[in-house]
Amino acid sequence: MSGILIGNAISSTWFPEAASTHARNVDGLYFGIYVAAVFALFLFAGLALVYITVFRRRDESQKGEAGRRLNPVFLGLWLLGAVGLAGFAFVGGIPDFVDQTVAPYGAYRIHINARQGNWDFIYPNGHVADTLMVAVDRPVHLTMNSEDVEHSLSIPALRLNQAILPGRNTDAWFEADRAGDFAVQSNLYSGAGYDSLFTAMIALEAQDYEKWLADVSDIFIGRTLPEVGELLYNRLGCKACHTIDGTALIGPSFKDVYGFEFETVDGGRVTVDDAYVKESILTPNVSVIAGFQPVMTPFAGLVNDREIEAITAWLKTLSSRGGVPETEAEVPGEEAGQEEN
Amino acid sequence: MSDRATSTAAAGYLGEPSGVGAWFTSLDHKRIGMMFLGWTMGALLLGMIFTTITVAKSVGARGLDPGFMYRVLTYQRVFLVFLFLVPALPSVLGYFLLPLQLGARNMMLPVLARCSLRFYVVGLVLILVSVAVGPVATGWTLDSDLFLRDTGAVSLLGAGLFFLAVGWFLTGLNFLVTVHHGRAPGMGFFDMPILAWSLYLSGYLLAASGIIFAIIILYLMASRAFGGGMFGADADPLLWKNYFWFVMRPAAFFALIPGVGVISEIVTGLARKPLAGYKTLVGAMIALTGLAFVSWGVNLAGQGLDPGLTLVFSAYSLLVAVPAALIAYIWLATLYKGALALGATVVFVWGFFFQAGIAVLMGLFLASPALGAYLGTTMFASTQLDYLIWGGVMSALFAGLHFWWPKMTGRHLNDEVARIGAVLYVVGVNLALVPGIILGTRGVPQDMGAFVNGPAGVNETSALGWLVLYSGIGVIASNLISTLWEGEGAPANPWGATTLEWGTDSPPEAENFVETPHAGEIYRY
Repeated sequence: MSGILIGNAISSTWFPEAASTHARNVDGLYFGIYVAAVFALFLFAGLALVYITVFRRRDESQKGEAGRRLNPVFLGLWLLGAVGLAGFAFVGGIPDFVDQTVAPYGAYRIHINARQGNWDFIYPNGHVADTLMVAVDRPVHLTMNSEDVEHSLSIPALRLNQAILPGRNTDAWFEADRAGDFAVQSNLYSGAGYDSLFTAMIALEAQDYEKWLADVSDIFIGRTLPEVGELLYNRLGCKACHTIDGTALIGPSFKDVYGFEFETVDGGRVTVDDAYVKESILTPNVSVIAGFQPVMTPFAGLVNDREIEAITAWLKTLSSRGGVPETEAEVPGEEAGQEEN
Repeated sequence: MSDRATSTAAAGYLGEPSGVGAWFTSLDHKRIGMMFLGWTMGALLLGMIFTTITVAKSVGARGLDPGFMYRVLTYQRVFLVFLFLVPALPSVLGYFLLPLQLGARNMMLPVLARCSLRFYVVGLVLILVSVAVGPVATGWTLDSDLFLRDTGAVSLLGAGLFFLAVGWFLTGLNFLVTVHHGRAPGMGFFDMPILAWSLYLSGYLLAASGIIFAIIILYLMASRAFGGGMFGADADPLLWKNYFWFVMRPAAFFALIPGVGVISEIVTGLARKPLAGYKTLVGAMIALTGLAFVSWGVNLAGQGLDPGLTLVFSAYSLLVAVPAALIAYIWLATLYKGALALGATVVFVWGFFFQAGIAVLMGLFLASPALGAYLGTTMFASTQLDYLIWGGVMSALFAGLHFWWPKMTGRHLNDEVARIGAVLYVVGVNLALVPGIILGTRGVPQDMGAFVNGPAGVNETSALGWLVLYSGIGVIASNLISTLWEGEGAPANPWGATTLEWGTDSPPEAENFVETPHAGEIYRY
């Protein structure tokens, strides 16, 4: 507590103004060690200066006292001081360090993709931005990875710094407790485009944050329906199982499906039209095309009708039949082998 | 002995054989030490030129774009760390003084000593060529992910560092063998002067770090040349960082432990008082040597190290405070009731107390778990390294040169000039570096102080400090250089000190001692 008080008083020169409890704890720890370290430094350097002045050579033949022994009492006190200072730095730092390693359960999750020259901050609803926006008084859990070299995410106002490594995930969390603009940077020099990683975090009050996210996340603004469909294909993870080049993965490719007729696993036939697309998104395992397993996650509740409409519009653009049903049966798995492009 | 000095025209080892060729092929440890002094001062000058560019940038020089500045920052550190910080004490004062202190006629492996000098020069030249051909922007830590991608002459830089690292290994090995086999009759391990002890312990660190650094540099270059491999594109960048700091953490110690030896010799010699707690001091240095090998992870704080491991390294690193405090106490106890001869040397000694003290105390912040994660990759860490280079090692080097210059050259320095230089140096270095601590706590990324405007006046104060520091170094250097030609001749033992190097001529003759000296009780005044 006292550390926090000192921290607020002096931190205007030493630290950027703190924006979280963790930051104020770190400041308190810093000033605790600082006071002890400055005392130790001036005790040592000051005593040395006094001894140099007092015990200087006064005539050429003068020699120092012959004693070689160390006074055990003073030495003991001196070492106790050193152990105390090191112990304080260690023990005092542990609670906040440990606290930082585990994000609180249910924290608001933002994913960070770092690469040379820019950040992607990916919000829970799939919105991607190059600025970190957060709500005040809500724990934020950052999961991070790098596409190329090592970076770090550093937010000085939160006294937060965490490495971002290629090939593995790192996390960090924080809870900003006041609104404002704060610097975001990488502390590790990462080659070309390093200066572009100096960006900002904007902390908003909770209701302002929700409004911002809703506004900025309306993907229908400024996009045609097929464009929205393609965006959803990328965001919702469809591309993990469905290609758009005719290659069958776990699910059929989206190339040339709309308007075609297929055999289903239970021996029936089905033509891919608006109704079938909707059914295949919301309850995908009801009528499965022959050659595939009923393993897709149902998206009921995750997409709305307008979004399904957009996906359907996009599927039409991928199909050579432009929405005109034909009777000839085709199996995408076989078709893949005959693809020219 | 004193009439010998006059009859040989006080030339000693500096006299015959003369000529550049004779010096360059010399196996004499004193000549090798003096040549190391020349080369390291040259490297320091280059480091100062690069530093000047960053200081100019920090006070608003225009036309220095980031791409250019990252290259400047890389080479500033390369010159100051690998070519100045590391060799300054072991190679300059170590090569010159170790055989003299032990009562030996030369290093036990003189060819390796000459070899380490040549490797240093080859390394320096290769690095300079890389500056000319294609300056590298990986940062001085050569992070493997950046090393693989850099478009500059990284292989030349890598090859240069390889030669330097082999040189460390050879130097360390030489120290170990010389201490084991070169001691004068009657000199046991605990009769050795404290500087010889510090060089002996540094020998372990130099040999181990040097050979490992040489090997990992080769692996790194191979990974770049052939793709894949140990540090290839698929490797975790932390792998390189762990190896690098496993080598460079001890480097900070083998740069500084000889400084402890130098300062201890000077304190006892100038105070004409036996070193208090000699064996305790040796024990403290042994503890530092051990901790040097196990605390590297503290340099990875905030860079993705496992949290549990971070705490272990944090504890090891904080333990450094205990031997450091012991050493400080021993210096104070030796000064107490001594008879200290005042002069420029004492100013440097006090500067070492103050500045090495700051470097060690800054280590407490960096090793504290929650603080280290935040400060470990900021200017705070860079400033600690700067305090080690400009504050700790440089003040020990200057103190040592001022103390042993009469022995090295046979001439006294001009003490008036030396005092001016010393005061300018101590004032300048602290004025230049303290602002970096503030930039660090404010979160400015490491080495990037030049790009950021801190609170008003911070960068300007620092620039003023650099100006004072540079003028101090200029005064000191001109004093040292001018004494080579003119200067009052020095007697064999101007300070009344007791270690064996003061028992021979100033400057010593090529064979060091006319008769093999016998070691008696050390530090008896």
